[in-house]
Amino acid sequence: MNTSSKKILVIVPAFNECGNIGRTVKEIRSAGTGVDILVIDDGSLDETSQEARDAGGMVVSLPFNLGIGAAVQTGFQYARRYDYDVAVQIDGDGQHDSGYLGKIIAPILHDEADMVVGSRFLENIGGFRSSFSRRIGINFFVHLINMLTGVKVNDPTSGFRAYNKRMIALFSDYYPHDFPEPEAVVVAQQARARITEIAVVMRARSAGSSSIRYFKTLYYMAKVTLAILLHMIRQKGRDR
Amino acid sequence: MNIHIVALAVSVAIFLFVIDLVRRRRLTFKYAVAWLLVSIGAIFFAIFYRLIFVCAALLGFELPSNFIFFVLFCVFILLSLLLTVFLCQQSNRNDVMAQKIALLEFELKELKKSKNT
Repeated sequence: MNTSSKKILVIVPAFNECGNIGRTVKEIRSAGTGVDILVIDDGSLDETSQEARDAGGMVVSLPFNLGIGAAVQTGFQYARRYDYDVAVQIDGDGQHDSGYLGKIIAPILHDEADMVVGSRFLENIGGFRSSFSRRIGINFFVHLINMLTGVKVNDPTSGFRAYNKRMIALFSDYYPHDFPEPEAVVVAQQARARITEIAVVMRARSAGSSSIRYFKTLYYMAKVTLAILLHMIRQKGRDR
Repeated sequence: MNIHIVALAVSVAIFLFVIDLVRRRRLTFKYAVAWLLVSIGAIFFAIFYRLIFVCAALLGFELPSNFIFFVLFCVFILLSLLLTVFLCQQSNRNDVMAQKIALLEFELKELKKSKNT
């Protein structure tokens, strides 16, 4: 992978990911030479930040838990401040296979897309594809986003993404906070971003528990739907 | 007749309490305004209580007391909405500051590291 000319930052949001984060960072390091790894420790109570640092990542520690959206946004702010060309978001729990790093940033490097989403459902290539109930939820968002914006993203809840400089600037100013992935697609589309998907394989979590638990799927769906609908009526440029 | 005196006394007490909070700087002007307006309104209606009967009849409330409860309810909903707005603003600013602090702390550590080597 030829990354010599571009500055690439891998943003890894992590909240209490002790036992996962070290492996994740090492994996990214072996997958992408020449990329910088920035772990955002979202106010973890365990040794997440030490483990990430020992594994060779840079670690920014938020003083208290802000939630995944604000954590990822901190990464964008860092990327903007240090003038990175590409930002990749990979979850700290090890469910994203960083072997796809090269594939996910390729459309950005070739300037074919502003935002690339790593999708589990694009091709039938196996791997962990979420539980039945959650797939119903994901499908619901596929249609909701498609209906509201006209964009079809097959895996709108995927947190495995790559962005170019323009998206870095956009998201460091405004990034949805609570369950941000589906809403971020809407934000990007409204900014007329070119969004593409590439097929990736995901794994089931090995340690810890997902922030979205099974019985909370419905609550999650309702909340994100409301967030997206509220986003649609927001006035632009009045975030703070 | 006594009820009017009680009502007036309570509204004056609330008004004075708000003034005192501002005076002791426990309440800034920005947040005091809404409460001052509410307590002045209360004093006004405690004095001109006949207005309540007129308004209630005009708007079709069978009992003036229902009208009072209705108005109070609306006022409190409005006040709590305003409070939520302030809360949101504070929470956003908190997040922004936390992010800034985290990034600055990181930079400071890096700087110290590079200075020591």
